[in-house]
Amino acid sequence: MSNLVELNMGPQHPSMHGVLRLRLKLDGEIVREIEPIIGYLHRNAEKLCEMDYFCDNIVYFDRMDYVGAMNMEVGFLEAAEKLLGVEPPERAQWIRVVAAELNRIAAHLVWMGAFGLDLGMLTPFFYCFIEREKILNIFVELSGTRQQYNYMSIGGVYQDITPKIIEEIKEFIKQFPKKLEEIANLFLKNDIFLSRNRGLGVIEKETAISYGVTGPILRASGVPYDVRKEEPYLVYDKLNFDIPVSQKGDNLARFMIRLEEIRQSVKIVDQAITKIPDGPYFNPKAKKSLMIRLRGEGEVYARTESSKGEFGVYIVGDGGVKPYRVHVRSPTFKNLSIIPAVAKDKMIADLIAILGTFDLVFGEIDR
Amino acid sequence: MSLLERLFGVFSFLGHDLGYAVSYLIQAVLYLIVIALLLILMIYLFRKFMARLQQRLGPNRVGKFGSLQLIADAFKLLGKESILPSERDNFPFVVAPMMVLIGLMLAFVLIPYGSLYWIGSITATHSAVSVILIFALMAIMPIGELLAGVSSHNKYALLGALRAVAKDVSFEVPMMLSLLAVVMMASARVSTPLDMESLISAQFLAYGILQPLGIFLFFIAMVARASYTPFDMGESDSELVSGYSTEYTGMRFAMFYIGMFGTILLGSTLLSTLYLGGYSGPFSSSIGPIWVFIKAIILVLISFTVWLSLPRIRIDKFVNFGWKYLLPVSFINLILVGILTLGLGW
Repeated sequence: MSNLVELNMGPQHPSMHGVLRLRLKLDGEIVREIEPIIGYLHRNAEKLCEMDYFCDNIVYFDRMDYVGAMNMEVGFLEAAEKLLGVEPPERAQWIRVVAAELNRIAAHLVWMGAFGLDLGMLTPFFYCFIEREKILNIFVELSGTRQQYNYMSIGGVYQDITPKIIEEIKEFIKQFPKKLEEIANLFLKNDIFLSRNRGLGVIEKETAISYGVTGPILRASGVPYDVRKEEPYLVYDKLNFDIPVSQKGDNLARFMIRLEEIRQSVKIVDQAITKIPDGPYFNPKAKKSLMIRLRGEGEVYARTESSKGEFGVYIVGDGGVKPYRVHVRSPTFKNLSIIPAVAKDKMIADLIAILGTFDLVFGEIDR
Repeated sequence: MSLLERLFGVFSFLGHDLGYAVSYLIQAVLYLIVIALLLILMIYLFRKFMARLQQRLGPNRVGKFGSLQLIADAFKLLGKESILPSERDNFPFVVAPMMVLIGLMLAFVLIPYGSLYWIGSITATHSAVSVILIFALMAIMPIGELLAGVSSHNKYALLGALRAVAKDVSFEVPMMLSLLAVVMMASARVSTPLDMESLISAQFLAYGILQPLGIFLFFIAMVARASYTPFDMGESDSELVSGYSTEYTGMRFAMFYIGMFGTILLGSTLLSTLYLGGYSGPFSSSIGPIWVFIKAIILVLISFTVWLSLPRIRIDKFVNFGWKYLLPVSFINLILVGILTLGLGW
């Protein structure tokens, strides 16, 4: 067909998340072919990791999924600590869970606001970001920064959680569910929103599995797969929470799954914050003066559940102070690959809506 | 006495022809200034209102409570470089934003504003067919949008223009039919129902109460005409960058921007004139413009609330909605009004 219009959407486009470029072939308003083109944010993070000490590599992981950086740190440290043989103390593990789950809430809020913007809703964005801001303020006290925390370190966390911060988190958890329902109602009591998303962009269970899709998108397609339950890391096995699953697999299901995940994360933080035990917050084997002398040999692969899906880190050590090879299994990269199959033969407006539910963060896709 | 007569009183020494010419010119300039000020006030109101809804502060740096922010913005846009795409069709590209603004400004002139204290009537001009004329002038604006989209030679702009046209086609028929219902009802009481002034005098009870379907249809049509969310498919920022105005910068872009807010104001004023009694109101007959303004500003705030809380409708769904729901409903409205007017003699 030669009478199709070719349209380059992105990388400079107001609704492309980050720097995704889509090469579309349009038949009027209908998208006939989609070709995602990535690489505009490539920073060679995996190679850079080979050039730095294990303890310094955390900063590169912070800059991968920058809206959920705590989860990235957890992912890297799961692998690195296994390789280096440094076990974090109990207290540090609980603190990590609290930080990771708070960050998951923040990341999902960013997604929810941006999804609203994709559909032309201006107001929910600010409501989401006001709540996210409260989490970031807690993180500022915890780690000193708003986004690229560099909070967790090999063998523990960089500084201890204080009673004041615990109080702040408790306060946040207390007021947040009410606000969340308010935000959810802005979406779910809106007929236009429902009619635009119900039944749109359906991903079948088998298709999702065959493309290697993970995270909320897979769970929205009816597969109850979550690394936190399948292969618990940190102290997730001591916590009581559910994995929301939907059988519908459409845009609305993905929205509902993420909404429910926020609620579950609130539940986790609520439990974890009271259970943080006393004790050291870092392993003395990895105290600051010894950190750069840690040596690792062998291969490890560790997987964790980031806010986007299964985040895997593979590290090879040759016995030196720096890793020999680092590879990251980025969930959004795998999730993105299904877009041409899902959004084909839909209208441009629908393509944007479907893309909106994928929660793309380009720091992680391009790395 | 009207504003024009008073101006002529000053310039009568120039003779009849020249005197009237000068007074018309001054009146036109006065109108332009007042409408521009009103629009600036409205955009300021919008930004403050939006900030309020979104729990922000809004403009608060330039002037007291940020009141001079819009003036500053206007100067900024004036000072911006006008980037012209090299592939453009020059003439339509340059003319398009002007057409949007000219259609808008001319339509304002025909609306009756009533009389204000000692000045007398400030309605700019009378026409026996001002109702038709206003809608004819408003019909210039979509042409400007289409021209802008086509002449930019940009795929986003073209798609945006096509969407805008598809949207216009689907709501204008219901809009005109609901207007017809108003004229029909007025024709039972006055001899010149196509004149805006007599439309107002025919409203013994606001037509918004007598024609609830009509005011609803007309409001939807006005939202669609002003093309803000939920009906902003033509310039949907998250899909088509900026639709037909993608390639415009600086003052030319500002013309589209002002055109959009101007259409909201014009639509609200029209709605208040056609359905809510326009300048007539209690207390005094010499505060007509204030009544128009109050009614319009309430409608404007309702529009803003709609704008800020709803997501965008997909274009094919809107076209469906227009032809399958709005059109039949507007016929029902017409029949109901016919029964009211002819059958019951209201």
